[in-house]
Amino acid sequence: MGELGKVHQLIIPFWGHNIAVNLEVVMMTWIVIVALVALGLLSARKSSIFPRPMQIAGELFVKQFYGLTEDALNKEMAEKYGPLVCALFMFLLLSNWLGIIPHLEEPTKDLNTPLSLGLMGFVIAHYAGIKSKGFKAYASEYFQPMFFMMPLNVIGELAKIVSISFRLFGNIMGGSIIILVVSYLTYSVVLPPLLNAFFGLFVGTIQAFVFTMLTIVYISVQVK
Amino acid sequence: METEIQTFVKIAAYCGAGIAMGLGAMGAAIGEGYTAAQANLAISRNSGISGDIFKNMLVGQAVAESASIFALVIGILLLFLDASAINILKAAALAGAGLCMGFGAIGSGIGSGYPGGQACSGISRQPMLSSRLTTNMLIGSAVCQTPAIFSMVVALMLIFMDFGEMAVNPTWAALIGAGLSTGLAAIGSGYGGGIAAGASCEGVARQPLSVSNVTTTMLVGQAVAQTPSIFGLLVSFILMFRTFPETGSLGPAIALLGAGLCMGFGGIGPGIGNGMAAEGAVRWVARNTAKAGDLMRTMLVGQAVSQSTAIYAMVVSLVLIFVV
Repeated sequence: MGELGKVHQLIIPFWGHNIAVNLEVVMMTWIVIVALVALGLLSARKSSIFPRPMQIAGELFVKQFYGLTEDALNKEMAEKYGPLVCALFMFLLLSNWLGIIPHLEEPTKDLNTPLSLGLMGFVIAHYAGIKSKGFKAYASEYFQPMFFMMPLNVIGELAKIVSISFRLFGNIMGGSIIILVVSYLTYSVVLPPLLNAFFGLFVGTIQAFVFTMLTIVYISVQVK
Repeated sequence: METEIQTFVKIAAYCGAGIAMGLGAMGAAIGEGYTAAQANLAISRNSGISGDIFKNMLVGQAVAESASIFALVIGILLLFLDASAINILKAAALAGAGLCMGFGAIGSGIGSGYPGGQACSGISRQPMLSSRLTTNMLIGSAVCQTPAIFSMVVALMLIFMDFGEMAVNPTWAALIGAGLSTGLAAIGSGYGGGIAAGASCEGVARQPLSVSNVTTTMLVGQAVAQTPSIFGLLVSFILMFRTFPETGSLGPAIALLGAGLCMGFGGIGPGIGNGMAAEGAVRWVARNTAKAGDLMRTMLVGQAVSQSTAIYAMVVSLVLIFVV
């Protein structure tokens, strides 16, 4: 149980500061990236008018998520943000599922991954907002309903990053802690796999979807 | 002195176990009762399919029970785990764990009864949809367990983590505060997520074609309704992982306890309010699918406004932690 709350880190001294690299997370993220590239190559290779199973799966998936993006944004913007949405969902889904393989861990279990993805969504949403409304209209929204509400509005926007990233992090890390404790207590062959299926496959899918949907709706709230 | 510490740790573990299971039994029982009541109504409305409704009621109640099963696990751990501690902090951590899990199970328990009940009454209205309604109910009530899972995680961390080297005086309050923050904040979010999930089951039964829109709106609404409990989790993590300097006075300790209480109580209202906003949006998306985008946007803006009070609570508790 000693590993609860401990992380393997590579610490590089750099001009008086220490740069910490979470080795496992980097490795697991690369595994996910390689798997995604392989999947992409498999489904896009030899695309033809008579599609093979992988191509059908890929096309169905992409179409589904373009549709979801189009519901929240408009058609023109969906063309632009569709690839981002698909990539985000696939990355999160594979990351959350990775933990069910023994010896591998979810990259999303480390707060740094959800936090950086949340920051990315935040920056993209605000960029889209400034671009579609113009800077003046964008900035004046912070002074609604009264000018002195500005600091609280800014905190409210920043709290969105906290909530979106901690939601994913809390669910995935929570699941892995519960699995760890139950395996430690029971030595059972039935309970941990069941819990893995629930927290890894089921909760992982739902949380990946929620993260993606929230990124889309944050963009749509800024744009409209 | 050594034996005295062990006695205190035991006292805290027993009290914590009592609080965890006692409070944890409340929510799920209420939720399951609601499910059963709706199942009775549904069977009297359409007694030809009473078998389906009965099965669905049992599945729904089993899911609703998971919050109090979490509490049972924490209670048993507190009772039987051999906690040999070197200082009094372990006692504070165990009491905090009990408080966290006890309060945290209330909201999710009550909340996850709603999708079960609405799914039963939906099946009586649309018997052909029984499997789709059961799936929707399972997704809704599983997501509504998230606040209870957060409390369980904080409780497990409080039980198993080693707080040996920390300064005793302010840290004891930080550990109890960490438990209270997540536990209390989970009440509102769990309940709010439940009423949103209930509305989605009702909506699917009314308009089966709207199922994908309704489920998406429900998931987003529940996710935003969970934000106050996420703030509670954040405050708990800060309270658990930050090292506080040793002091002789009681002031800093009470400030840390106050930070936990502030975020905990501050999260209850916004969680329920956000759940109500989500419930309204989900209900009307089912009736007017063409306007799903507008409804979701209105829901999000409304939830953001209602959430601002949780943000005020978070600001005050961060000030209490870092400034005072």
